[in-house]
Amino acid sequence: MAGLTLNHLYKRYDNSGKKKKIKNDFAVKDLNLVCEQGEFIALLGPSGCGKTTTLRMIAGLEEITDGEIYIGERLVNNLHPKDRNIGLAFEDYAMYPPLNVYGNVAFNLRAKGVDKNEIDRRVREIAPLMQIDDLLDKMPVKLSGGQKQRVNIARAIIREPELMLMDEPLSHLDGKARQAMRTEIKRLINKIKCTTVYVTHDQLEAMSLADKIAIINFGVLQQFGTPAEVYDDPVNEFVASFIGEPPMNILETTIINKGGTFFFTFQNSNLQITVPKRYYSVVSDGFRCKMGVRPMDVLVGGADSEGTPEEIATFENLGDERRIGIHVGDVLLMLITEDEKRYRRGDIIKLEVRGEKTHLFDINTGDRIREKN
Amino acid sequence: MKNRRGLNILMNILLILYAVFALFPILWMVLISFKSDTEVFTTTFVFNPTLANYREVLLRSDYIRYIRDSVIVAGGAVLVSIIVGVPAAYALARYNFPRKEELAFQILSYKFAPEILVVLPLFMIYQKLGLYDSYVGLIWVYQLISLPLLIWVVRGYFEDISVEIEYAAQVDGYSWYQIFFKMLVPLIKPGLVSSALLAFIFAWNCFTFPLILSSNKVYPVTVAIMKYLGTDSAHYGQLAVASTVSALPAMIFALCIQKHLVRGLSFGAVKG
Amino acid sequence: MAKIQLENVKKAFGKVQALDGITLEVKDKEFFVLFGPAGAGKTTILNCIAGIMMPEEGVIKFDDQVMNLIDSAHRNVAMVFENYALYPQMTVYDNMASALRSKLYRKDESEIKERIQWAARIMKMENLLERLPSQLSNGQKQRVAMGRALVRTPNVFLMDEPLAHLDAKLRNAMRTELKEMQANLGSTCIYVTHDFMEAMALGDRIAIIKEGKIVQIGNGDEIYYMPCNEFTAQLMGDPEINIIDADISGSEDGYSAGFRVKGEKVTYALPKDAGVYTKIRELNLTRADIGIRPQHVKYSFEPKEGYFKATVYSYESIGNKSVIVVDCGDDANSQLRMIAPNGLSIAIDSDIYIHLEMEHAILFGSDTKEYIVRYDEANYIALAASQEEK
Repeated sequence: MAGLTLNHLYKRYDNSGKKKKIKNDFAVKDLNLVCEQGEFIALLGPSGCGKTTTLRMIAGLEEITDGEIYIGERLVNNLHPKDRNIGLAFEDYAMYPPLNVYGNVAFNLRAKGVDKNEIDRRVREIAPLMQIDDLLDKMPVKLSGGQKQRVNIARAIIREPELMLMDEPLSHLDGKARQAMRTEIKRLINKIKCTTVYVTHDQLEAMSLADKIAIINFGVLQQFGTPAEVYDDPVNEFVASFIGEPPMNILETTIINKGGTFFFTFQNSNLQITVPKRYYSVVSDGFRCKMGVRPMDVLVGGADSEGTPEEIATFENLGDERRIGIHVGDVLLMLITEDEKRYRRGDIIKLEVRGEKTHLFDINTGDRIREKN
Repeated sequence: MKNRRGLNILMNILLILYAVFALFPILWMVLISFKSDTEVFTTTFVFNPTLANYREVLLRSDYIRYIRDSVIVAGGAVLVSIIVGVPAAYALARYNFPRKEELAFQILSYKFAPEILVVLPLFMIYQKLGLYDSYVGLIWVYQLISLPLLIWVVRGYFEDISVEIEYAAQVDGYSWYQIFFKMLVPLIKPGLVSSALLAFIFAWNCFTFPLILSSNKVYPVTVAIMKYLGTDSAHYGQLAVASTVSALPAMIFALCIQKHLVRGLSFGAVKG
Repeated sequence: MAKIQLENVKKAFGKVQALDGITLEVKDKEFFVLFGPAGAGKTTILNCIAGIMMPEEGVIKFDDQVMNLIDSAHRNVAMVFENYALYPQMTVYDNMASALRSKLYRKDESEIKERIQWAARIMKMENLLERLPSQLSNGQKQRVAMGRALVRTPNVFLMDEPLAHLDAKLRNAMRTELKEMQANLGSTCIYVTHDFMEAMALGDRIAIIKEGKIVQIGNGDEIYYMPCNEFTAQLMGDPEINIIDADISGSEDGYSAGFRVKGEKVTYALPKDAGVYTKIRELNLTRADIGIRPQHVKYSFEPKEGYFKATVYSYESIGNKSVIVVDCGDDANSQLRMIAPNGLSIAIDSDIYIHLEMEHAILFGSDTKEYIVRYDEANYIALAASQEEK
């Protein structure tokens, strides 16, 4: 059973009152998504891409211009937010300051008129799960960012919603707290098996939490798939460069034919990379496109390597790994290595690129060029 | 869409009604100023317009002198407020000293007490000090009106400027005075201008203080208007002229700076 | 360009001792990183060097000249602030020109223009010069703030978390750019950060600061491989190092380490290593905290010789690889982190078998939490020394 279905969803803001016409006045454009029962999906995109608008439409906080939203089997287009049976956890912790943690968690049930003993039972049940059992008597002002966020989530899940919506719940936390909280959310959602939509601009958060990721740009869905799919098989240049850190190296290239073998060549660079055989059906001599390769798929060759000798432009020792940057034309090609060897700027290394891991993108549209079968 | 249009029309009608209601006294005042004394009490809008009142007030009385006094007193008060208030606001925004908030609140509290409450003791003191009926005396007492306003608005502006901007300018090789005038003053300008103009309007309109604390030598226009209400006769036409003319600067200022006034008083320096 | 020295610098804010006897020397043309958690006093050190704050005690010297009584305008330092501190009423061009138009550092307008264009080219912001700061994104503001410092020829560049407000990706990209620029800069630079990757990547040397004190000074390799205590070890590396409280037993023929996993005792032979064995014998160690980085923890889904059983607490991707956290006991402190590839199908709370590669271990005192010794110490000392030379 589907947990959430978005059917040709549109959102258009009425700009008639404003002097400036916004170029792209669709905040969300023809969005189709099916999220299975119990699945954790992330809406991922840069700020202003329409992901939060989508979430607000699902929650019922924003009018829908066109399209349909189903939660389970119910069409909820015209339902009031409170009747949609959803739990919300937003980035700013809107807690009721005069109530203590217990009161905040119980607030929703009290408003619904749930029996007092029943409320108590449910609060006591959920508190250890969220590790807030010893905070129940505290007031919101006394809590740290991580604690507030846990209370916030507890408040959302205590209603036993059909659908959980989270909007950047971790963006207020820093470094380690954020990582720890990410792990906790992941475990928790795994336990309660609630269909969840999670909005974030941080690809790492999406990759580590979600079962499936919907990547959105300018209100248009780019790709919807598992983390592995969007990472290994991006549909276009945007997805390829948005997912992964450091991002995929994307270089403009002209393919040349040297005695039956195709090579990627680059402007103002002597770097040549063999084009994998599988692309032979789509390329030709002089074919121009963009080549993408992840930094882990660029290697430093050994002494007997046949790789192109290149000069190191940047060398960053990060402890766990080392990053090397090499100028290819005016683009810095990054590669990651875990071996212990130290280099310096100006050292010459033999560069090897795993040809089979390269992706081709259309030079104008950025769409993926796939090999023909 | 249709609904919204209907709503718009209704809103506009309501606003026009309110405007007529609010502006009526002013309109009536302007009308009276063009009436002869005999027609003053007619309640119809039909009359023979005359400029006699204007001639009488502007040319044959000391009215211009009163206006001049008002300008000197209100302008002087604002000038003193700026010279004293801007550094005070800076200090309140930047430095930490004991009882800072209490001091700031005390400055604000000057505006709380009704003028009439303090004016009698002030009258006695002014008599003793020789400040009675002098420009300095009035400018001084007007600080009660203009200074708190200026300090509070400008302080908010200083607080909005991050202190790192001053550090950055120091590191860039500027002295404190250069930083203050080159970096900070431009940033507080919207707040300074709007609060200074508002203070000017308040000082201009002030009635109680000049009524009690001055007599012949310094004669601001608010008090002077009373002259036209004699003990034996009331020249309502001339009174209306005097009022109209004296209200003009305030109205013109208010109209010109309307936009800035709202912006200046409600936004900080580096926002927007 | 100058050498910067701080001798026993102390600074308090009310009752809080922000700096508690900081002594350090930054060599001429060195890129020196101050690294530590928030609130450690890093920015205060920078402010004291810039002359924005006066230390209560201690001496600050530029090229052996005492600077304590010289105000910040006359110290000739260029500073990049964490919140950029751009002058909002000035265009980017005027912001960058501001120092060169002051009385102290005045230059001809033609020279100013030349330098600004040079800096704008390096920072890739030639098209921004006419804009106001309010029209810039955070990344662009950051470039302008850097550019404003670059146009000068100061005694020292001071940079206070210039990348902190950028999102992870832009931060890493800017770090790489900064690294590339650093070679052209050729001047003394003191850089404050709380991001260990920035510290490692940029610093010729790094000073670890904690609660107003210097914990350790050294180059990246020294600090990463030979952290002077557990605090430093945990700061360097992501995910952070695993620290296991273990008993040491045995004799010089073969020591072994024992610790409890889910109530059962697991014993690991400590591989032979002259340095480690000598230290254990000399100090007569019976207990130690063993530090093992996540990349040196191996896992298996089948029982295996030398592997012990634990349960999966979480499995999540951190980009090009994943982290498995396993539970080895009843309380939350007994978790181990390890690196694994992406895309494994691992169920939470399922069984997993763990192996620790002791040949990469670092030993800390179990009471002092201070560094004792590590495996292959001589090699790592040589590696760190080879970095010094440049």
